[in-house]
Amino acid sequence: MTTISTSTSAFYERSSMDIADLRARAEGLQADLSRGQRIARSSDDPVGASRLRQLQRADSLSQIDVANAAKANTNLQLTDSALGTFADYVTRIQELTTQAANGTMTDAARASLGTEIAQIRGNMIQLANSRDVEGGALFGGQSAGDAFTLDSAGNATYAGTGTAGDLPLGDGQNVTRGLTGPEFLKLPAGSGQPDLLAALKALADGLQAGGAAAVQAAQDGLAALNQGMDQITTAQTVVGTRLAWVDLTTERRTNLGEMRSAEETDVGGTDIASTVARLQETMTVLEASQASFTKLASLSLFSLLN
Amino acid sequence: MASDLLSIGRSGAQAARVALDVTAQNIANASSDGYVRRSARLAEVSSTGGMGAVGDVSLSGVRLEGVVRNADLFRQAEVRRTGADAARADAEVAGLENVQAAVEQSNVYNAMVGFEGSLQQLVGDPTSASLRANVIESARTMVGTFNIAASALDAVGTGLGFEATDAITQVNTLSGELARVNLRLARAADASSDQTSLLDQRDSLLQQLSAFTDVSTRINADATVELRLGGASGPLMVQGGSAGTLGMTTAGDGTLSFAVSGFTAAPAAPAAAALTGGSLAGKAQALVKLAAVHARLDSLADTMAATVNAAQTAGITPANAAGQPLFGGGAPFTAASLTLALTDGAGIATAPASAGANSRDATNLNALRTALGSADPVGGMDALLFDISGTVQGRTVTRDALRTIANGAQVSLQAQAGVDLDQEAVNLVRFQQAFQASGKVMQTAKDIFDTLLAIR
Repeated sequence: MTTISTSTSAFYERSSMDIADLRARAEGLQADLSRGQRIARSSDDPVGASRLRQLQRADSLSQIDVANAAKANTNLQLTDSALGTFADYVTRIQELTTQAANGTMTDAARASLGTEIAQIRGNMIQLANSRDVEGGALFGGQSAGDAFTLDSAGNATYAGTGTAGDLPLGDGQNVTRGLTGPEFLKLPAGSGQPDLLAALKALADGLQAGGAAAVQAAQDGLAALNQGMDQITTAQTVVGTRLAWVDLTTERRTNLGEMRSAEETDVGGTDIASTVARLQETMTVLEASQASFTKLASLSLFSLLN
Repeated sequence: MASDLLSIGRSGAQAARVALDVTAQNIANASSDGYVRRSARLAEVSSTGGMGAVGDVSLSGVRLEGVVRNADLFRQAEVRRTGADAARADAEVAGLENVQAAVEQSNVYNAMVGFEGSLQQLVGDPTSASLRANVIESARTMVGTFNIAASALDAVGTGLGFEATDAITQVNTLSGELARVNLRLARAADASSDQTSLLDQRDSLLQQLSAFTDVSTRINADATVELRLGGASGPLMVQGGSAGTLGMTTAGDGTLSFAVSGFTAAPAAPAAAALTGGSLAGKAQALVKLAAVHARLDSLADTMAATVNAAQTAGITPANAAGQPLFGGGAPFTAASLTLALTDGAGIATAPASAGANSRDATNLNALRTALGSADPVGGMDALLFDISGTVQGRTVTRDALRTIANGAQVSLQAQAGVDLDQEAVNLVRFQQAFQASGKVMQTAKDIFDTLLAIR
């Protein structure tokens, strides 16, 4: 006869190990469920935890890209509306200059038109010195002060830096945050004047001076104004394209963000259905082993032998 | 005819009494730790006929030959070996989990990402005072988390060292105890109940020792044990009645080495012990990993601080002054020594040297971000965390496997050497019946004697 040799203490030890093991497993599953996260410590799943860290890093940097993109968007819209106003001013001056170019007009009338043009030019300089959302010069590039300074004679000189500077939009993409004054006021070489503001000063001065030269000044002015208008509309196109670029990257960032959060859920989230099923399975086995343990433990030969 | 029915019955009753005592002892010790089931070994007493009495019937009953201890030396050695492995893995995993918690819960990774983000935010508006203050505060948080991670790692190291010191004391106490048991074993009579309980003690001490260190044992003919630490070729720890002293040396980086003194002559150096099992070995292994993690953390702190400081000094502040280092405590920076040197956001050098005062030119800031991007201390921190957590995970799998093996060995020893109450219940009935039967024999002897006396 063969018997399975087992001692009382071995029976109790084995039972307690099995039940403790099942209990620990059930508790682990319950913790997963209540946390909603599969990974409590990195060692639960080193690869997943590392992926989660990288996703969270990308997420937090992407939040900053959102803020930068919003800033770029606002500045470009400010630039766009300022350019619109510039175009309106230039149109008005074109009307006035067309009148002044009429040879039948008296010198006095031309002088008053010249004064009005000088006034409008002053407004344009004010507009060119307007501020962006951060309080810097909108058209001054990266300098802190005004974009244009006026000397005692009324000549406007550009005081800003050569470029407007880039803002990062994430994933290595950049957008130039605005325009510098010369980028839309500069006239092409050969037009006789360096930029639109200088051309307008020459026009206003010429009209106010009167005489035969005044009609010529008006003719020159019309040519300069046409070129200036071209520059401004070109600049508006550039700004519009940049705004579209910001929109495009924003859309892309949103899509990437959605993909990231989907991946975060995949990698780190608890699969509720399967976890509940496994918990139920573990609980069933635990109950069964507890019940069978009680039954076996109450079996004693001592109670049967009298 | 030299038999005596009455004395045979008496010896039978006595033997049954002893067997009942042994059974009772087994039942009483059913849950005693380290108790090995005993059984009474009985032997017939008879003699061959002497001079002129060849062919005589000479029956003298039964006698107790000895109390047998049902211990299996192989299973006991297995329990010690697997137990030492499991204890080592347990101690190592516990230490590594603490290392992981120290680095991960200090949030140093998140703080580094926060600092990186604050620099990126500053690009949007390099002259903004609030964004500059944000950079300074993020840097302060990062410095704080580096300091916390370093001190948490130090605390883990101190804790492990403390526990190892305690384990050393335990090993020395247990070894001393074992030497005393050896002395008494050498004097105890064979198969006496004194010897069996000493053997129980010997095995229990060996098992306790195996929780701290891997032991290699040799049982001598007189049942005394010769103990070596760290494998069969390791230094002698207990021999006969004398025990050595296990000592521990802590190196500068916190790693441990062990040596036994007491068996070598005084001027000789203590014999080095390479422990590969038990909690002492586990703690030593965890401390080796801790030293490596600490070194990598320090190097990450150095990369971060040196990169930022180099870029800082290349640019100018809005006040058109040369940039000053952002971090202090350096050359080389360590996680513990790192401090924040610059506390005013106006001191951050975002513009290149040629830009002039109050410039919004972020060229130098972008250079700083590019340098940080290529040195990538944030990625390095992620790799460090991955390294630790991967190690913990791997070791946990090993630990679970070793624990299962150790539990199996333990249960198998218990099944063989432990008390089975059902079997003892059967023995109780059996020896009770034997006692009653021997009583009946004496009754029969009396009846026969009475019959003879009644002849008249």
